[in-house]
Amino acid sequence: MKLSKKVVLLGHFGVGKTSLFRRFMDNEFSEDYKVTLGVQIKKKVIEMPDGRELSMIIWDTEGHTNIEDTRKSYLLGSHAFIYVFDLTRTDTYQDLSKDIDYLTKNYPKVKTKIIGNKLDLVNEKDILQLFKDKQIQFDCLTSAKTNKNVQNFFSDLAKEITS
Amino acid sequence: MEYQEDTLLFSEKTQFILVTVEGIIKKTDAKLFDWKVGGSIYDCHPFFEILKSLIDSFEKEETTYNFPCIHLEENNTEKICDITIIINTQEITVILFEYTSKYRELNKIAQQRNESVLKAKELELKNKYLLDKEEFKNNFITNINHEVRTPLTSILGFVEILEKTKLNFEQEELARIIKRQSIHLNALIDDMVDISKIESGKIQIVDQRFLFVNLIKGFDETYSKLAEKKEIEFSTYIDPNIQEYLIGDRTRVYQILNNLLGNAFKFTEEGSIHLSVTKNYQRTNKLSINFKIEDTGFGIQAENLERIFDRFTRFNEDKQISGTGLGLAIAKNLVNLLNGEIKVTSQPEKGTTFEVKLPFKFEVTKTTSQKKKKKYTLPETKKKFRILLVEDEEATQYLVMKILISQGNFFIDVALNGEQAINYLERRNYDLVLMDLKMSKIDGYQATRMIRNNYGDKIISEIPIIGFTAKIGEKERDKCLRAGMDDFIAKPFEQEDLLYKITKQIAKKAAV
Ligand SMILES: Nc1nc2c(ncn2[C@@H]2O[C@H](COP(=O)(O)OP(=O)(O)O)[C@@H](O)[C@H]2O)c(=O)[nH]1
Ligand SMILES: [Mg+2]
Repeated sequence: MKLSKKVVLLGHFGVGKTSLFRRFMDNEFSEDYKVTLGVQIKKKVIEMPDGRELSMIIWDTEGHTNIEDTRKSYLLGSHAFIYVFDLTRTDTYQDLSKDIDYLTKNYPKVKTKIIGNKLDLVNEKDILQLFKDKQIQFDCLTSAKTNKNVQNFFSDLAKEITS
Repeated sequence: MEYQEDTLLFSEKTQFILVTVEGIIKKTDAKLFDWKVGGSIYDCHPFFEILKSLIDSFEKEETTYNFPCIHLEENNTEKICDITIIINTQEITVILFEYTSKYRELNKIAQQRNESVLKAKELELKNKYLLDKEEFKNNFITNINHEVRTPLTSILGFVEILEKTKLNFEQEELARIIKRQSIHLNALIDDMVDISKIESGKIQIVDQRFLFVNLIKGFDETYSKLAEKKEIEFSTYIDPNIQEYLIGDRTRVYQILNNLLGNAFKFTEEGSIHLSVTKNYQRTNKLSINFKIEDTGFGIQAENLERIFDRFTRFNEDKQISGTGLGLAIAKNLVNLLNGEIKVTSQPEKGTTFEVKLPFKFEVTKTTSQKKKKKYTLPETKKKFRILLVEDEEATQYLVMKILISQGNFFIDVALNGEQAINYLERRNYDLVLMDLKMSKIDGYQATRMIRNNYGDKIISEIPIIGFTAKIGEKERDKCLRAGMDDFIAKPFEQEDLLYKITKQIAKKAAV
């Protein structure tokens, strides 16, 4: 049977959800910001190390400042959430734990991953220290622009949701 | 539930698709997308994969799901649809409502709104980056200052020694140049340190009461001499409505005006320079003063005016003018620090005018006591009066001695602390004590109390005492009087004030 998993990108607007989506799907990036309205959906077939094929269906949502404003139907039938925030904008991660709590409470079966994006704009060492001090948890720091950690992140995620 | 293909309920832009639980298209009107009956809905668009999980979780009751604003594309054309899915036991109904143009409209608004937020953040980030860089630079300057200063001091010292040795004319000239250049370098470092201190917020504003008119008089004297040398005219005007004493940061005000005047003198070869000081407005105990420095110098091109306050900006490269290029930047920074305003207007070849507005305060109570001072004269019983100055600060000792000795009718002894003062008083007869309040061992209050209480000899116990305080105010005054002093005077004091108070106390004592 063909494997198929739904993954939803969440987080404030402008943090780079669409950029990560495009980087992963088509290996493209643009500095030009184009607002996402509603949701765009694309499929990518990934070959797993064990030979199986996985259809990853990614929903790139428009993003809201408050996670609870996200349309519930968008989240139906998900296998993973990727919560993206912007390393250069404090307001995109200051309520992170509240948003994550909301997701894990209402969707306990769905894997939730946290990404800090735009790594190319900050000093990694400083950021790591800052997040340690502020006790902000995250799974991965990426740059959609330079492609840093993007492919790795998605292939790790693929493994995790199929195991 | 059954939908008719020819129903009128829905418009042209609506498409119905009936799907089996296996995902095979049973029926469709193909109004929006040309999807074939018999094909799998899962091949139409990845969105429809959602059906699998909806079917999996289906339990008996017919259920409706709404998915607004889904981007569907086929053959590179995108249609933005609201999608309704109805699931029951037999089949699945998918209804697409196309709203592409409505959503595109909405898109524009969201785009503008989000973009402005992102732009603002981007600017903030840039600004922070610049600030960090600035801070680094300022710290760098402060640190390097020390490293440079030490060798420079020895260069200057050795040149001075060298100058005193036997030199021929040429060597003497060379030594003079080295000295001049070193002094210039020293001034440059001073200015750089100053500016980095200002910019990194390390300079603190100290408000003190000072004789404002004297500050301006001082400029008049210094710069008149320079004007004479340069054969130009220099004049000052001070609004007589301005209080004699003001409260503000005298040092910084001095620096600002000195930099602006220095600049004016640098760039004026003929004609005149004028400093005028006028009152803008006055409210309760605050006032704003306008300083105007007009010159008839080279002037500045309009396009350069904006950059005039930048560091190291010099527009007269060809003219042989010395200076660090930091004076105006310092002036501007200091004006900002004092919450003032500075502006410049200029006409090339005609001259430049700088205008500075600075806020000051003044003492309201002081003005009432200024009403009328009773005149006192020293009693003629003696030719000379002996005064004991109790003060450990050399600068103040020197100043008081200078003031009193120049009068010709005072002898002065200096004690360094309260203990010494009492020793002196026991040994000699004095007419008055000038007592600093902050001293090591026995302080001024304590010493005064001892003088008043411990002696039967009235020459000691009733001697007039004037206290030197660092601050002025009711509290200070009370404290002095309670300790038994006859009067007090705040540092830094003016000559007239000191003489007036001394004369008054001696005259009063003699009258008893
Ligand atoms: N420098 C940099 N810019 C990025 C990165 N990711 C996204 N951006 C920019 O950030 C803006 C918003 O990105 P977008 O992907 O549209 O954010 P979304 O609203 O979360 O989908 C765009 O101008 C992107 O070019 C990144 O990793 N580095
Ligand atoms: Mg987006």
